[in-house]
Amino acid sequence: MMDKVGAVAVLGGGISGMQAALDLAESGLKVYLVDNKPSIGGVMAQLDKTFPTNDCAMCTMAPRLVEIGRHKDIEIITLSDIEKIKGEAGNFNIILNKKPTYLDEEKCTGCGTCIANCPTRNLVQPLEKTKVELEPQFREKVLEIIKINKDREGPLMSVLQQINSTFNYLPENALKYVSQELGYPLSHILMIATFYSSFSLVPRGKHIINICMGTACYVKGGERLMDRFSEVLEIKENETTPDMLFTLKTVRCIGCCGLAPAAMIGDNVYGKLSTKDIPGIIEKYKTMG
Amino acid sequence: MAVRRIELMLCTGTGCVAGGAFRVKEALENELKKQGLDKEISVIITGCNGFCGQGPLLVVQPDEIFYGFLNPEDIPVLVQEHFLKGRPVEKLMFTPPEKKEPIPLLSEIPFFQKQLLIVLRNKGIIDPEKIDEYIARDGYTALEKVLTSMTPDEVIEEITHSGLRGRGGAGFSTGTKWKICRSEQKRPKYIICNCDEGDPGAYMDRSVFESDPHTAIEGMIIGAYAIGVSSGYIYVRTEYPLAIKRMELAIFQARNYGLLGTNILDSGFSFDLEIREGSGAFVCGEETSLIHSIEGKGPEPRQRPPFPVQSGIWDYPTVINNVETWANVPVIINRGAGWFSKIGTETSKGTKIFSLVGKINNTGLIEVPMGITLREVVYDIGGGIPGDKEFKAVQTGGPSGGCIPVSMIDVPIDYESLTNAGSMMGSGGMIVMDEETCMVDVAKFFIQFTNDESCGKCTTCRDGSEALLEVLENIANGEGKEGDLEFLEEVGIAVKDASMCGLGTTLPNPVLSTLKYFRDEYDAHINEGRCSALVCKNLIKYYILPEKCTGCRLCLKNCPPEAIKGELKHIHIIDQSKCTKCGTCLDVCPPKISAIIKVTGKETENITGTEDPYPVKRKKGEKNET
Amino acid sequence: MEQLTLDELRKKRKEAQKDIYLREGKYKSKIIVHMGTCGIAAGAREIVSSFLGEIDMLNEKDVMLTTSGCAGLCSMEPMATVELLNLPSVKYGHLTPEKTRKIFKEHILGGGIVKEYAIGIGSEKGG
Repeated sequence: MMDKVGAVAVLGGGISGMQAALDLAESGLKVYLVDNKPSIGGVMAQLDKTFPTNDCAMCTMAPRLVEIGRHKDIEIITLSDIEKIKGEAGNFNIILNKKPTYLDEEKCTGCGTCIANCPTRNLVQPLEKTKVELEPQFREKVLEIIKINKDREGPLMSVLQQINSTFNYLPENALKYVSQELGYPLSHILMIATFYSSFSLVPRGKHIINICMGTACYVKGGERLMDRFSEVLEIKENETTPDMLFTLKTVRCIGCCGLAPAAMIGDNVYGKLSTKDIPGIIEKYKTMG
Repeated sequence: MAVRRIELMLCTGTGCVAGGAFRVKEALENELKKQGLDKEISVIITGCNGFCGQGPLLVVQPDEIFYGFLNPEDIPVLVQEHFLKGRPVEKLMFTPPEKKEPIPLLSEIPFFQKQLLIVLRNKGIIDPEKIDEYIARDGYTALEKVLTSMTPDEVIEEITHSGLRGRGGAGFSTGTKWKICRSEQKRPKYIICNCDEGDPGAYMDRSVFESDPHTAIEGMIIGAYAIGVSSGYIYVRTEYPLAIKRMELAIFQARNYGLLGTNILDSGFSFDLEIREGSGAFVCGEETSLIHSIEGKGPEPRQRPPFPVQSGIWDYPTVINNVETWANVPVIINRGAGWFSKIGTETSKGTKIFSLVGKINNTGLIEVPMGITLREVVYDIGGGIPGDKEFKAVQTGGPSGGCIPVSMIDVPIDYESLTNAGSMMGSGGMIVMDEETCMVDVAKFFIQFTNDESCGKCTTCRDGSEALLEVLENIANGEGKEGDLEFLEEVGIAVKDASMCGLGTTLPNPVLSTLKYFRDEYDAHINEGRCSALVCKNLIKYYILPEKCTGCRLCLKNCPPEAIKGELKHIHIIDQSKCTKCGTCLDVCPPKISAIIKVTGKETENITGTEDPYPVKRKKGEKNET
Repeated sequence: MEQLTLDELRKKRKEAQKDIYLREGKYKSKIIVHMGTCGIAAGAREIVSSFLGEIDMLNEKDVMLTTSGCAGLCSMEPMATVELLNLPSVKYGHLTPEKTRKIFKEHILGGGIVKEYAIGIGSEKGG
């Protein structure tokens, strides 16, 4: 077994933080459980029942509270904010700002007014930024797309759509570049890029095969089309053939319900498809290149 | 254009294009040229005709003769017989199933007879890529009327009186929505046309864009005038490339004629439109989510109020209406609120477009007056259920709707009646199900869909759909247990109550409505391990009837996992331990023999497939002795 | 870019309506040219184009031209049947483009039957 080195800081002592701390400590790591509140427990402690099982909230968390309190490898640090995080995944240095309590615990009622009024509590340390350079194969097109859309209202969606349709996916550096030029945080761009099903973060084939899984197609055997395509192309759903020609995907209804089961390759719709037709269609696209 | 004798209205909706409409067009043009008829007969491409199940299809004007299922090979005969010699070709006409006589005239085909066209009044009559043809069919007369003789308040009054309600599903009064937005102080204001038609099984909005884009544009210009707006957006799903192309062209043409842009028709009123594409997220059909998507924010819905009419796109007042709603506007203005409000029921006025799909003879797009019964739709327009199968239920409202059982087939179609029946109007998908559709499987399918498409903002929707799905999967796999149904109901109601947007509050509908009307089917799955529709894979087995099998080896050769044992003239056996239940054997077994059946419940108990193949002993036509 | 005014839009509509009149189904009169093999051999194609030429010159396009099969009187081909709204139909035989023009002018536009070319009034009784 691998030797466990170092320690882990879990930030936030809610139910998920508590469980994480326990799991980590159980696996043999030293854990610092950090929370900016005077106590751990988070929102769950305020609830009666939890969704969807309607279990009693306190019954779920109480055993964990006790266990954390007793665990030799968990150190609880409350009333602390993060001042600085340095380093990279696997090797962080965290500087915490432990707030003084300045209070007489005998008299404190836990009203929280002092916390709300503390002037340093929301201090954020900005990360250092490096300038993003685009690879030559993307450079010209991405610059052009940004130029066209820059002055529109709400340019982000259009920019991402056009980059996605130009390269058939969203190259990582292009996203960083868009973030830098348009001023959206990268996290926001990634959130958008992963939300919509037509965006991809990995390169895709020249022809994207979308198999309709709308109700009508599903009822009429859309799944069997999927199986057959996957057999002929020797790839699974959401994969791309090694020659970068085909990517196999499913789509939620392309509105050709009268022609079920249907599939769409690029912008062409194939209706009333039978598993027998598939090799021929693939062959046609292969000869097209 | 020179005068013509015959016009051939060739449908080029997405359905017919996929069926080869453009190959038919080429064949027609070649043959007409060959016969020297190309000067007097022209081929006009139109948008979706509606009768998609018959595509590619053609309507011959002025005779109004309907031809379906066209092949390029049929064209020479058609041109020579009908267009040259004047003898319509019966073989290509529409023949109702189980009848012998074809019906030549479009207006006499039952599918078209009961329909009432308001939104789709121009379908199949005009070329959607030519603005002049729309103008010829009284297009933009409503705009003229509004700009020359009505004040914005009068327009809103007219729409309010017509009783028009949002066709996107929720059914909010359109006039009221416009009025609220008009009274907002904040400027500028915006209007949006919602064509993010994500419901599987619904394609009416795409069809309007593909067959008559200008009617939506005209509706939007009138709306903009009434509300006091100078710019608008059209939000279209990226899955609809043809609709986007035709709409772009239509906007370009309208702008060219000065019907969009500054100082429209010299009236001093200005308005312009822009298309924004979606990127494949179902939740973007929800209005606040759609706004976020255009703005480039995370497309999650937000809490209302404030409603978009108060604070919508870029935080300005915004009216969002569905394509169909906008498309109704020009007709109401032209023919008057009084005329419109006579159609339909007490609370639901006008017509509604439905896409009629699933296990039904005539699949396609229909526009019917509100208040028509499901029976009329399924049997008169839809032509009933194919084969001698039994009608079981209609699913309306897409993944947010519910299933209406055969016992409620006389329910009139309007907003309230459908809601009372546990379903909803929705955007207008209507999926017909027969005895071969398993209701547990249907509920599972829809929950899978909503679980996948839930944006994840509300816990109830995100985790609730997960919990529902897990239990439904267990039931479908034959691992259901007592108390599961009560759990489904409890969670379903919790999700309905506690979610924020339309997606979450309606997602349990398919489960709750099937539980209400088809509880016995759930019970059969749980208690007897029986799926009477023979759908749920874990509850069925494929079995070769020894008295019918001829030992032809056809199923054996085609079985993908090689689960069938046998040799020539031997009764074949399916090894159940290898069978993946793909159904290929059932498909390839010749209909004359049909030796392969599916069994479920108790009957599966003794089928193991461990025995060896044995010779076919009987003579032709006799049963094997076993 | 042609920015239209109201009047120009109305004018455009009038023009465009002529182009799609076939689909509207509003006709006062109907000409049926019989195009069986015999009719075509006798020159029915020519008759069709000459009728079309006449229709083209009309302002109000309310005449429908259609074709049908052999009328059963092959010796009289090329033949045409003219139907005016609410009047019995009239069959004409041995047509030539000149006769066609006269029939068009006097019967279809004028309403009077051209007796010298007519071979019969009314249709055969059905069934």
